[in-house]
Amino acid sequence: MREKVKPEIKFEEIPGPEELELEKMPYEEYCRKIFDPKKTFEKPEALKGIRWLSCTMYIFTPHSVSNLAELGAEVIKVEMPRAGDPMRHTSPFNEAYLYPLHDTRPFTGTGYGYFHANLNEYYISLDYHRPEAREIVYNLVRMSDGLTECYRPGTFHRWGIGYKQLCEINPRFIYVWGGGFGYGPKVFGGSYDILGQAQGGLASITGFHEDFGGHPVKHTNWVIDWYSGTMITVGVLAALYWRRKTGLGTMIEFSQVHCATRACGYGVPLYGRFGIVRQRWGNWDTQLCVHGIIRTGKSDYPNDPNPQLREEAKYVMVSAFQDEDFRELCYVIGRPDLWEKYKTHKERLKPEAQIEIYGALEQWASDKTRSEVVDILTDAGLLAMPVMNDKEVYECQHFRERGTIRWIEDPIFGDVLVHGGFSVGLLSETPRRVRWVWRPVGADNVRVYHELLGYPISQIKEWYDKGII
Amino acid sequence: MGVMDLTEIIWCKHCNTVNYLDPYTFWNWKGKVKCAGCDRVYYVHIIQGFYYEGPKEMPPGEPYDIMPLYADKPLEGYESYKPGTPGRTRPYLCLPREIYLGKADKVKFSIRGRPVRGWAPQPPSSGLAGSQGFKWDIEKLSPDVWKEYQVKLRKGEVREW
Amino acid sequence: MVEKKLTPEEFRLKILEPAKKTDHICWTCKHLKPVIKGSKLPPADLIGWCKKLHWPFYWCIPENLVVKKCIGYERIG
Repeated sequence: MREKVKPEIKFEEIPGPEELELEKMPYEEYCRKIFDPKKTFEKPEALKGIRWLSCTMYIFTPHSVSNLAELGAEVIKVEMPRAGDPMRHTSPFNEAYLYPLHDTRPFTGTGYGYFHANLNEYYISLDYHRPEAREIVYNLVRMSDGLTECYRPGTFHRWGIGYKQLCEINPRFIYVWGGGFGYGPKVFGGSYDILGQAQGGLASITGFHEDFGGHPVKHTNWVIDWYSGTMITVGVLAALYWRRKTGLGTMIEFSQVHCATRACGYGVPLYGRFGIVRQRWGNWDTQLCVHGIIRTGKSDYPNDPNPQLREEAKYVMVSAFQDEDFRELCYVIGRPDLWEKYKTHKERLKPEAQIEIYGALEQWASDKTRSEVVDILTDAGLLAMPVMNDKEVYECQHFRERGTIRWIEDPIFGDVLVHGGFSVGLLSETPRRVRWVWRPVGADNVRVYHELLGYPISQIKEWYDKGII
Repeated sequence: MGVMDLTEIIWCKHCNTVNYLDPYTFWNWKGKVKCAGCDRVYYVHIIQGFYYEGPKEMPPGEPYDIMPLYADKPLEGYESYKPGTPGRTRPYLCLPREIYLGKADKVKFSIRGRPVRGWAPQPPSSGLAGSQGFKWDIEKLSPDVWKEYQVKLRKGEVREW
Repeated sequence: MVEKKLTPEEFRLKILEPAKKTDHICWTCKHLKPVIKGSKLPPADLIGWCKKLHWPFYWCIPENLVVKKCIGYERIG
């Protein structure tokens, strides 16, 4: 048989793999391929090989470590024997629990408040301030890359497990203290999220203006806890890179209240220049108009038994601050006189103008449902979005397809809905992932003390009976 | 200014009921409030959280603007009128979801119909020192829920979302 | 309890009693937000803030700041 003559292809003419893929695929499809949430577990993890100790409580410091664990670090969470992190008991009420908390407490569960702050971690119990525990901590530190703790400043130092002592055992060790104020005049101040929001200056610019009867408002959820936890993670990643270059550890001293100050934006620098203090402006905007949230007359769920849907599904975010957009908006709501009156952005930004414009908008919307308002404005080419609640976030197709929220099968607790850290960014090569949401108190005692540190089982049993672990 | 002027309560001396308004909403407000314990109506005018006028008792049968949110009778023990008592207090529309009624709601299945390990007590299944395995075998550890789940599967009540 | 002679505006001013009483021109302006009695945080020389002039900011007004002319000035009443 005659051999088939292959056509000669020059090497230069062969498109490279990237060009080939990119040529074939439009951007949308390309992203869908590389970020596919279904392929998460086929890909490697960025922080694999890092071992971290989490001596943390509540949301703020645990979340900083949870970020590492979602990116692949092996995190060992250390809790008080039999009791655990107090956040396990600080949950929404009425049986929103996952059982069990611990083998000795079958009637106690862990509340949903614990969610997302402690993903993918291994759980051991240890009472650090017993003298017997010090050696165990040292052994853990010898095998780990870092530790995060949230006790009052200097507490670990007093117990003999502070950075000064630990860096002698392991000079590559990265030590994070996260708390309220840190060293300085307010060293003894503890912290809660609300304290951070208040002390940092954020609460003073949240809420409606005092002329409308407004008061400083905190966010309903613990936003500054979540935010400052993430900022610790940024510090840890920088410290890891520094250690790669120099071989030396770092101590990170992280005061939560300063995070709220960062979230205040340009307010503080502007005070430094002009001596002026920012005012609250609630659901409207101080720099753009129209750019705010308005209330419509009718709910999208008029007959729902849940008052949060029946009464609250009435708010719409509207944005039309460019001249053409604002003109369109005025004609849509049948108030061309407003356009004649406020033709420049500077004019409509004045407080008196905003009061009149938003008043007219709400009056126009007073006989319409939320979705009617959104449809009318969207059809007119304006930006309008309903203010969504948890139910609508769950039902939002955009979030589902991107994997921002997803159902996972937790190995112990069964079917759980998570939103994890997927929302902070999708990594194409090393995506974040949730393997399990949490485990019972001390669930990995044998795994860590026996399999990792090599203590005999009899020793573990003895510690357990004495209440050290 | 005493404390009594500051807090937005109306103490009805006739039936010894303390009626509570809600401080933020009534920071600056004037109108008539009906007592939760009896049919008397009180006029109040609040400025910056302080009583400017009132509480002033109105003639009987006067139409009222609003009912208190909550009321109690401190001199008669712990008797109280919770928000939403018909004819006495107004409903609190910011109430959380209707499932939060104060009694335990032990969920066996998530909203898409798959089992969760969310009820107490749980059988101890662990090894030494509270250790837990990684896999919760629902068929073995909770056979009743497993059976219920099979029924749900057959009925098509288990969804993807 | 309260003398009925006060108008609501006068009553409000009585509640929000300022920490200081000076002859600064801003006291006669309706956009002044005075430092009220018992406040501990602001610097001692502040009489209050202007709500109008630098909206959306409060402008700190110290006692020794001489205001000759102000575009935001509106006399009370």
